[in-house]
Amino acid sequence: MYKRSTLWTLIMTITLTFALAACSSGGNEPANQGTGGNTTTNTVDSGSGGEGGDVTLRLMWWGSQTRHDLTMEVIKLYQEKNPNVKIETEFTGFDGYWEKLAAMVAGNNMPDVLQMNFGEYMTQYAGKDVLADLQPFVESGTIDVSKINEGLMESGQANGKLLGIPLGMNALTVIYDEQMLKDAGAKVPDMNWTWDDWKAAAAAVHEKTGEYGTQGLETGNIFEYYARQNGQQLFNEDATGLGYDDQLLIDYFQMTLDEQEKGTYPKLDVIMQHEAIEDQLIVHGKAPFDFRWSNQVVALTKAAGRPLKLAPLPGPDTAKGMYLKPAMFFSISKKSKQQEEAAKFIDFFINDVEANKIMNGERGVPVNSEVRDALAADLDETNKMIFEYIDMLGEHSSPIDSNFPPGSSEVLAALKEVNEQVMYKQLTPAEAAKEFRERAESTIKRAQ
Amino acid sequence: MAKQLTSEALPVDLPGVKRTRKKTKDTDNLTGYLFILPFLVGFIALTVFPVAMSLYLSFTDYDMLGQANWIGLENYQRMLTDDNKFLQSVKVTFFYVLTAVPFRLIFALAVALLLAKVMVMKGLYRTLLYLPSVIGGSVAISVMWRQLFGNEGALNSILAQLGIPTVSWLGDPAYAIWTLILLYGWQFGSSMLIFLAGLKNIPNSYYEAAQVDGANAWHRFIKITIPLLTPIILFNVIMQLIQGFMAFTPSYIIFGDGRPLNSTLLYVLYMFQRAFTFFDMGYASAMAWMLLLVIGIFTALIFKSSSYWVHYESEGDK
Repeated sequence: MYKRSTLWTLIMTITLTFALAACSSGGNEPANQGTGGNTTTNTVDSGSGGEGGDVTLRLMWWGSQTRHDLTMEVIKLYQEKNPNVKIETEFTGFDGYWEKLAAMVAGNNMPDVLQMNFGEYMTQYAGKDVLADLQPFVESGTIDVSKINEGLMESGQANGKLLGIPLGMNALTVIYDEQMLKDAGAKVPDMNWTWDDWKAAAAAVHEKTGEYGTQGLETGNIFEYYARQNGQQLFNEDATGLGYDDQLLIDYFQMTLDEQEKGTYPKLDVIMQHEAIEDQLIVHGKAPFDFRWSNQVVALTKAAGRPLKLAPLPGPDTAKGMYLKPAMFFSISKKSKQQEEAAKFIDFFINDVEANKIMNGERGVPVNSEVRDALAADLDETNKMIFEYIDMLGEHSSPIDSNFPPGSSEVLAALKEVNEQVMYKQLTPAEAAKEFRERAESTIKRAQ
Repeated sequence: MAKQLTSEALPVDLPGVKRTRKKTKDTDNLTGYLFILPFLVGFIALTVFPVAMSLYLSFTDYDMLGQANWIGLENYQRMLTDDNKFLQSVKVTFFYVLTAVPFRLIFALAVALLLAKVMVMKGLYRTLLYLPSVIGGSVAISVMWRQLFGNEGALNSILAQLGIPTVSWLGDPAYAIWTLILLYGWQFGSSMLIFLAGLKNIPNSYYEAAQVDGANAWHRFIKITIPLLTPIILFNVIMQLIQGFMAFTPSYIIFGDGRPLNSTLLYVLYMFQRAFTFFDMGYASAMAWMLLLVIGIFTALIFKSSSYWVHYESEGDK
């Protein structure tokens, strides 16, 4: 008698186990979203119904809502043209993307195609050997890169392999409010302006309006430029340590500190409270200069509601410091069983005019020069300015440095921290440069 | 008593009966285990296994992408001797816990005392006062906190109106942590409800008797309410202490990375950074075990001390 009841109990408990397991995973999802940024997984309905679908590719990227919407449309287009391919997508904001990707790699669950970033991220993933070498696909012509700037293609290489295909071009830029500068009688930046011109213009605006003379500088990127324009590098050639003389970092810190003392450069608490792109000082007419990536100008102009202009970063030797940066890559997982199909999709993504018209340079200026020309006719004022700026830099820049050592994301975080300590006057520029070197070197040594 | 014993002892003399009883007992156990199977499966797969795994990882250099190599105590050694940021996060967290926890408990008790007196619409007040605890971890709070404490925020405009010098609450390393402490105190809901339940359990006759003897409100509070509430206080202190040490969300959503000057770098936030920003999972696992150790020590100390200050009513019978 009790045997039957035991059996029943067993069945009931097992049913319950699964039911509860289902509940708990459902309940966990919102919590994950809260901390890890919004994550959405879904399949684009190709419209052609359930037929075909011989190949299923998984694609993952980070970005804003605009990017998600546009990418979805491109995928829809691709599925219409290739009814045998079904693409499953996963996307999140930049925050949370790397946590998610790292967890996928650890769980042996990488998507076939994934968005990858230049610099410390590429270094990290190249070191773990989880990305496929795309050179064979380029050689076989599956991915056509003949219209892409060679220097830009090189940026996708690491450890002698081609690990990423660049999707767009970006460059650092100074965005300025021409009207505000003219009102203050300050010199408007041109191709040959220098840090001294920047200081003078900032001082003029500050004196005239009482507002700030500039937005703060994002230390990592701007100091890298500063080192390059002085003929040095942030990291040394063989990526085993730092590549500049301490005096250079001291000068840089001293320059920003002096500006802060004069009141032209905002204090950190102000910078901290104007972080969102829609909330920058220049948007509110509270500063005439902002230092950013060129693809962010669209959002900035939209928020400001008035035209803003672009200039290269201050000289001297601008061309030595400036570089074109791959805004991001598509990479293929080494474990993917459908690398050929994945490569075809990437080829479509960078070379198809129709697809790029949908995206309209949202991932940076298109890398294919023919696509760029095809798009140029219909561009709005802001995008036209960005395209021209990138074209101009093609002539006036030097190759990007890709010698990021392992652990460089932590090194860059440390640079940000010592910069804070300088600006809060807890460390003098000289102490900060010394402390940063110590921290950077011990981090790189440990990570190697 | 004696009668019960004999009836209990009786079947022991009869072997047949004994066997049946034993068998029944085993089946009962099996059924019992089956009933807790859903919990056991979840507990082992989602708690025991990860906990054991993290202990193992804390002795390795696991970076989430590659192999985990055994490095012995190196992570722990680095933590204690060669990581200023770790020490900073410990400092911040101790300050946070030792300030925010008493603040929340005192506030919760005060509100509970008031609420115990309320007779109309009790449910409504209770719900409203609990609300901050529900929305506490949401991103909306970070927006609100910026509106309140930003340079041009509500608090500063009030101060300016009154002619008091304004302060950069979020940007000044000396003040930023206080906005988190305030946020922690504001989410007093659960402690308040537990205090409220405790207050309701104190018989009214004690107060009446004291009143007849001429005790004023303060004396009644000190001599009756507090002593009889000590078991509840003990419970709340321990729960809140654990919660305080594990605080992560407030700092993460309001300040993101511990700014300004790592003054809001709570321990768990730094642990998160090590694990997921710098892929230093082995080190982060070691940090988690260190935290467990510290929480364990604190909890043990409080339990030890409880015999000096916690009064259980039943103790009178001993």
